[in-house]
Amino acid sequence: MRFIVRRIGFLLIALWAALTLNFFIPRLMPGNPAQAIVANFRGRINPSALHAIEVALGIGGHQNLVAAYFQYLGNTFTGNFGVSTGNYPQTVTHVIGVALPWSLGLLGVTTVLGFVLGTGLGALAAWRRGGVLDNLLPPSFIVISAFPYFWVGLLCAWLFSLTLNWFPSLNGYNATVDSPGFTWTFAVDVLNHSVLPAFTILISSIGGWILTMRNNMITVVAEDYVKMARAKGLTPRRILWQYAGRNALLPNLTGFAMSLGFIISGAILVEDVFNYPGVGFLLLQAVGNEDFPLLQALLLLITVAVLVAIFIADIATALLDPRTRNNR
Amino acid sequence: MKKFKVGLATSALVLVASTMTVVGPSVVGLAVANAAPSQAPLNLANEQGSLWSCAFNPFIPSSLPYSFGLTYESLDFVNALQSGKVTPWLASAYAWSNGNKTLTFTIRSGVKWSDGQPFSAADVAYTFGLLKKYPALDLNAVWTALSSVTQSGSKIIMNFKAAAVPYFYYVADQVPIVPEHLWSKIANPTTALISNPVGTGGYIMSKCSGQNIQWKSNPLFWQKGMAQIKVVNMPAFLSNNTCNQYLASGQSAWGSQFIPNIQSYYVAKKAGNSYWFPPVANVSLFPNLTVPGLSDPKVRQAISFAINRSLVSKIGEYGYEPPASQTGIVSPTFKSWVSSSLASSLGTGYNLTKAAAILKADGYTKGSDGIYAKGGKKLSFTLTTNGGYSDWIASMQVVSQQLTSFGIKITLQTPAQATFYANLYAGKYQLAYNAEAGGPTPFYEMRQMLFSKNSAPIGTAAASNWERYSSASTDALLNQYATTTSAATQQSIVNQLEAVMVNQAPVIPVLEEVDWFQYNPTTINNFPTAANPYAQPGLYNQPDWGYVLDKLAPKA
Amino acid sequence: MKRLSSLLGATWRFLRRDKKAFAGAVIMLVLLILTAFPSWFTPDDPAAEIYSPGMGLSWAHPLGTTSFGQDVFSQLMAGARQSVMLALVVGFLCTILSVVVGISAAYLGGLIDDGLSLLTDVILVIPTFPLIIVIAAYTKNANFWTIVFVLVFTGWSYGARQMRVQALSLRNRDYLLAARARGESSWYIISVELIPPMTSLIVANFLSAALYAVLTAAGLQFVGLGNVNTESWGTMLYWAQNNEALAAGYPLWALAPGIMIALLGSALALLNYAFDEVSNPALRPVTNRRRRKALA
Repeated sequence: MRFIVRRIGFLLIALWAALTLNFFIPRLMPGNPAQAIVANFRGRINPSALHAIEVALGIGGHQNLVAAYFQYLGNTFTGNFGVSTGNYPQTVTHVIGVALPWSLGLLGVTTVLGFVLGTGLGALAAWRRGGVLDNLLPPSFIVISAFPYFWVGLLCAWLFSLTLNWFPSLNGYNATVDSPGFTWTFAVDVLNHSVLPAFTILISSIGGWILTMRNNMITVVAEDYVKMARAKGLTPRRILWQYAGRNALLPNLTGFAMSLGFIISGAILVEDVFNYPGVGFLLLQAVGNEDFPLLQALLLLITVAVLVAIFIADIATALLDPRTRNNR
Repeated sequence: MKKFKVGLATSALVLVASTMTVVGPSVVGLAVANAAPSQAPLNLANEQGSLWSCAFNPFIPSSLPYSFGLTYESLDFVNALQSGKVTPWLASAYAWSNGNKTLTFTIRSGVKWSDGQPFSAADVAYTFGLLKKYPALDLNAVWTALSSVTQSGSKIIMNFKAAAVPYFYYVADQVPIVPEHLWSKIANPTTALISNPVGTGGYIMSKCSGQNIQWKSNPLFWQKGMAQIKVVNMPAFLSNNTCNQYLASGQSAWGSQFIPNIQSYYVAKKAGNSYWFPPVANVSLFPNLTVPGLSDPKVRQAISFAINRSLVSKIGEYGYEPPASQTGIVSPTFKSWVSSSLASSLGTGYNLTKAAAILKADGYTKGSDGIYAKGGKKLSFTLTTNGGYSDWIASMQVVSQQLTSFGIKITLQTPAQATFYANLYAGKYQLAYNAEAGGPTPFYEMRQMLFSKNSAPIGTAAASNWERYSSASTDALLNQYATTTSAATQQSIVNQLEAVMVNQAPVIPVLEEVDWFQYNPTTINNFPTAANPYAQPGLYNQPDWGYVLDKLAPKA
Repeated sequence: MKRLSSLLGATWRFLRRDKKAFAGAVIMLVLLILTAFPSWFTPDDPAAEIYSPGMGLSWAHPLGTTSFGQDVFSQLMAGARQSVMLALVVGFLCTILSVVVGISAAYLGGLIDDGLSLLTDVILVIPTFPLIIVIAAYTKNANFWTIVFVLVFTGWSYGARQMRVQALSLRNRDYLLAARARGESSWYIISVELIPPMTSLIVANFLSAALYAVLTAAGLQFVGLGNVNTESWGTMLYWAQNNEALAAGYPLWALAPGIMIALLGSALALLNYAFDEVSNPALRPVTNRRRRKALA
């Protein structure tokens, strides 16, 4: 119980730190959103529009920073994220709401798939030391995981789409032909468009799972209780999954949660390469537009997601492995 | 357990494989099935860098390109590519009077809004009243020049505070007319989304999602026989590359993209793929006139002569943007305005000997490090350009190399877009590379560059005239232009402004900004071309692109 | 001194025996030579835009030319310096920071430990790449040291956590308690008794921080947040992407820098992996067939 209280306490502090960072960083940027909007038009707008836009966005009045900070905190807890200045006058919630399902789908599926496949393969490789998997997987995945995510994406787009024409390399679905809806054709279209981005993320992240799982497994397999299980005559399959596998998996859980941050980072660039309409690209756009409200909301979203994942992983580890509860 | 794991992997692979075989034919089938019975939709390729927000308020910069021109129209159409030629639109006639201080429009009859209600002069008066009431909507600041707008039957009478001939472009071509019967019910027009715009134009928005906007032609359109393309799509693109791919794959017949190596990337891919890049404004070096060294017009002139503009264009822009002239007149679009004596005095604009002679006569000598100096002060400056435009960065890299090897040391900085503009507007830079907005005649760009009231002290944001140029005589010339409709007088004033540009070089034009335009006339007629430049062809020119769309027709 | 030479001897034997480590070391050596003496390998000035754009392969231009008329091969060779230096410098600084924070937290314990751990965890949890994008976008002139600062600021915490855990487990070992009982100073205990057993972890840390630096810097430069006026593999990718090298007919311009980044990354990863095996003998490649039968 004390352990859970400590973890919640940590969660709250980290959340507060993230919120404060979110508040200050956009304000450190030079310029203001009105200038960013005019700049976006690359000169195709009357320069006098700058003033009109400033009036529209309510810029120019000097705001008390402390008051603004507390207002920001209050707004965040009530879910009021304001209006996106880059997509004015749409609200931030609407803008993120449009992009979020795509990222959740892409990242969610590939992360889980990667974790499951990766740990499975890693365990298998460790079980049969010196076998084909063990000799082949580690070196090839060491090399593959050293490729930058976006370069793999470029390569996949070039090879599978431009050259071989197997899959589309653009967008979430063919928007000029299809409409969102719960139809079979739409679902198939979405799936088709997600193959290349998903493949890119999968292949870049799976290496990490395989390698860490394999290393953990090898350590675990050398332990005495595995020898004991073998001596008792349990089937290898049972030892592999129910004894060794479970114990080897534990450190991976927390690692899984923490690496969510890295996966999100890689996904930002993959979304850029494939024109995939997710949250990662929205972030790049918000930075370029000095869209403070959108930027703050996005950073918060990503931080909260990672924090929650870590919290869940910590609790799960504590539940599954009593030893960790005493470890500081 | 092991079997289960393998099963999972296998089933994933099977799913992917089956998707491959199923989707191919079905997507094609879908495309065929969804096409209108007689026509394929026109797909547009224009990268905006974000998903669509599905707002269509024509007074908000981020949404106005998608409703103004298509759905909402203006009083007249002023063509920048024909030196401001006027075509009547919602106003059938106009006249200046009262010493060019009063402008009277006769509003066309028989026009209907797309919801069936009749359009009248009352809507025009209402629109201008809206701009006066909410300055946030007045993107062209027309009310800084207007004193009143009144309706008199089917006429609209606009009174200006002073003679304001150039304002015709802003009030007649750049203000979208909105329906009073709907907008008077809106509580706050500055934040209204307007998800279903009702206008007089040829195209009505029919479907909008984050990834695509679709328009259908307006059956009530007042121009009979126009707006013949039935369905128009504009998909959203997040980056230039993905939009270029779309265009090159042949799915779009009209694009406004920067395409590297356009011959092999686009033209060679399909029969009929063509492009035309009409120049419209200057992209120039803006020297901060308060910086020592740059405050000397001789130094600026020397810089101008030391730049090999055609090489900059070739390397930085694949030759798409023609070299500019120090006269500030964009050619060939406005070539009738060029003063021939000034043009011949410039030659090609690239003359290293002349540049060296100018500096020498001014007292500068080249030091042992190869950099010019006078009285111990070296000519060494930082040059900033927008870090978000890779072609501008490439061009400025060439310029830096050229100027440094000539003897003026240039250090290139490429800050992020927002930082760049913040510093530009506030005057916190030494040399900056940017473009003014321009307009239908050279006067507009000159005024933006040279009118002292456009500028602001260093530290305060100025929307144009970033170099902080100020001259009473130039201001007088610009004001005088505004008082006359005589073409001859206008020409003479512009020639004098060209002289200011050549002799004082307050701004140093390097290349000419073009409208990006790719098109394929195999299935569609009436695109604007160099032979018939009836409107600006960019998908981001308002209201031009809407009017072009009205004119396009499918080939029989 | 004797310790150093025996360490070097052990390293050499280890490299010779383990194929992965050997490969990694060879690649690293080649890249280091490239970093130190780029002019030996660049037939042309990498920035000179004097050739025809988009030329194909030829003896004069083994990898063709860019769309600006620069020699791709020369750029590739010259770009090694920035990328390799970035990896090494960031790796080094991150490791120092991790070691200092991690070991201090473990050794000093109590409130200091609580505070440092909290700091470490909070920075660890805040998503780094979005933060990096935001910071890098708003520095006036994104030069080498700005990127270094941004990468170190976001990259040290993972290693610190690992150091702390390891130091904690060592802290209560007998020989340390004995040293404390002897009355040795904290400095002595830390530097002589605590750090040496952690060497392999520290080296592994350095390598993974360097790898992190290479990949993240490449990502930043790719979106244009590095200094696009300098030569590095990441900025080559930026220019290639912005000029559509893959689709417009000069793919090598985009592929070659990616391969080089991957090579550098692989070298670091291979060495890292090999060091894992040094610290955990169970991970070493199985050569004994008898042992294999026992497990299966």
